[in-house]
Amino acid sequence: MPVSRLLYPLYQLGNPQLRIFRPNWFLTLVRPGTEQPPDTVQFRIPMEMTKCDIKNYLENIYNVPVGAVRTRIQMGSNKKRNHRNQKIKQPDYKVAYVQLAQGQTFNFPDIFPEKDKTPEEGSMEDMEQKFMEDERQRQKLDPRRGGVTEWFGL
Amino acid sequence: MAARTRLPLLFPKNLPPFRNQKLAHTEAAVKEPAYPPIVPSLTAKSKSARVRQVEEVVQQICASPVEEKLSLITRIQRMKFVVYPQTFARNADTWYQHFTKTAYIPGLPEKFSLSPERKTGGEEEQPAAVQTTVPGVGHDGFEDIRSLVTRVILQEYWHLKKRKPFLYKEQEQMVGPFLRNLVTGLTFSLAKNNPLFLTSSLDIDPQVNFYWRRGQRIIPKGHRRGRQEPTRFQIDDRPNSQIRITQQLPQFTPLEDSYAAEVPEVTLSPNVMPLFRRQYDNNIFTGAKLPDPACYGHTQFHLVPDRYHRDRMARQQQSDQVEVFLRANALTSLFAWTGAQAMYQGFWNHEDVTRPFVSQAVITDGKFFSFFCYQLNTVALSVETDANNPRKNLLWGTESLRLYDSVQDGAVVGLNDDVLKLLVQFLMNKQ
Repeated sequence: MPVSRLLYPLYQLGNPQLRIFRPNWFLTLVRPGTEQPPDTVQFRIPMEMTKCDIKNYLENIYNVPVGAVRTRIQMGSNKKRNHRNQKIKQPDYKVAYVQLAQGQTFNFPDIFPEKDKTPEEGSMEDMEQKFMEDERQRQKLDPRRGGVTEWFGL
Repeated sequence: MAARTRLPLLFPKNLPPFRNQKLAHTEAAVKEPAYPPIVPSLTAKSKSARVRQVEEVVQQICASPVEEKLSLITRIQRMKFVVYPQTFARNADTWYQHFTKTAYIPGLPEKFSLSPERKTGGEEEQPAAVQTTVPGVGHDGFEDIRSLVTRVILQEYWHLKKRKPFLYKEQEQMVGPFLRNLVTGLTFSLAKNNPLFLTSSLDIDPQVNFYWRRGQRIIPKGHRRGRQEPTRFQIDDRPNSQIRITQQLPQFTPLEDSYAAEVPEVTLSPNVMPLFRRQYDNNIFTGAKLPDPACYGHTQFHLVPDRYHRDRMARQQQSDQVEVFLRANALTSLFAWTGAQAMYQGFWNHEDVTRPFVSQAVITDGKFFSFFCYQLNTVALSVETDANNPRKNLLWGTESLRLYDSVQDGAVVGLNDDVLKLLVQFLMNKQ
């Protein structure tokens, strides 16, 4: 069922439930900006999705037990201007806060862990680093002068 | 002439040597201060001036009578978190325990034992089925109460013909009148056994409000950015009914026992729970105004609304949240009630309670009853007063217990005597 520009029929008691097979919606898991409780997961979702849609999506496609869903729409700023002084609009997006059921927790992983920057012995980076250090050492003044510049003296 | 005398090379320490011995037996003279004490300014633009202003306000509040105290504490309106006792938020009870500094103890205090053997004096050998007496109410009294309860149940669910209730009005239409009739019937029939009820006041649909501060946060944006601001909370509760008495109920455990209890700490902002901020009148109210003689609380009765009924939660696969909801409801309602009672006696943030305030609550949805007891040991919850405060408030509570199975052919099937006993014990709680 295509989801772009679709008008949902008004639901009345007794109508068949609306079912969507192969939805065209994609969720993005994001790291929360402000600290959230351990059972809360934050998603960026398409504007057309509702709370019930998210619950059904996660439960049926990913088998994730969903307790409660809260959504809000974040306005993208219209403040920046380009070289012609025209306003540039950042797109709006919908954010969903999903609380997991059955006591499950989720901790957003560290995607960019700190790496040790020591280069291995004999490689190009190592030689470059040693060369730069030598250069910097040569530029420094004689430490015995105690910070006084070479303008004074012989 | 000091300048021309030749002083010796080694200057002796006592000079002249015998001067100090004259004063050996006299006491130091007490000097009256000639000038008033040096205190920080009151109107300067400095931190010490602000501290002194706060101290002056605190002293002013301590020195005024109770009515003025209440009005001074609730004078200034600011944005505050509105805490709803009956909330849809998940895991609300841990959050509310943190806001009110309450420790939850499953089960009831020793006073209300569910097992009847210890309570009934000389009937230990009798089988459990026959032990249907509560001390203070004889066997006949208990039979009367059981017949009263069956009458009330049958009246609402069998004899009265009611319309099919509209959406979400079922509890209000079916169970509300049942609870009210039950409470009024029980209080009036137990008045002969419990003399407290003769001078008590039974409120139907009262209001209970409480306002307090706990914790602080740094203001993120605005002209007051970067400064500390205390987080304020307000509870506005409407229990189904409550009983207010003239004397205070005795404490369940001594104050010092609460020092060991554990209160869950939540470092996140209440915003995230979700909890919303509003600004309106700060109210502190027990259910009656200040001059009322029945200023202490006995028992509150709450009704579980349709939205949080266990059948609906089961349909949404959230059956585990049912107990959480009941605990959160009891916690906030009782904290608000006991806190308001303490405020009416003049205890507030900087003048902590000298004796524990005790109240009880029964939460029901018609068939399932849960019993809760609350002991308020401290009302000093704001940052300055909580720093060295080892006292914690205590909440005892049971799981939901079924009162009866169903009503069929004009008779109540499966009336649970244990639950009735507990209910009667709760109401019989006296000095």
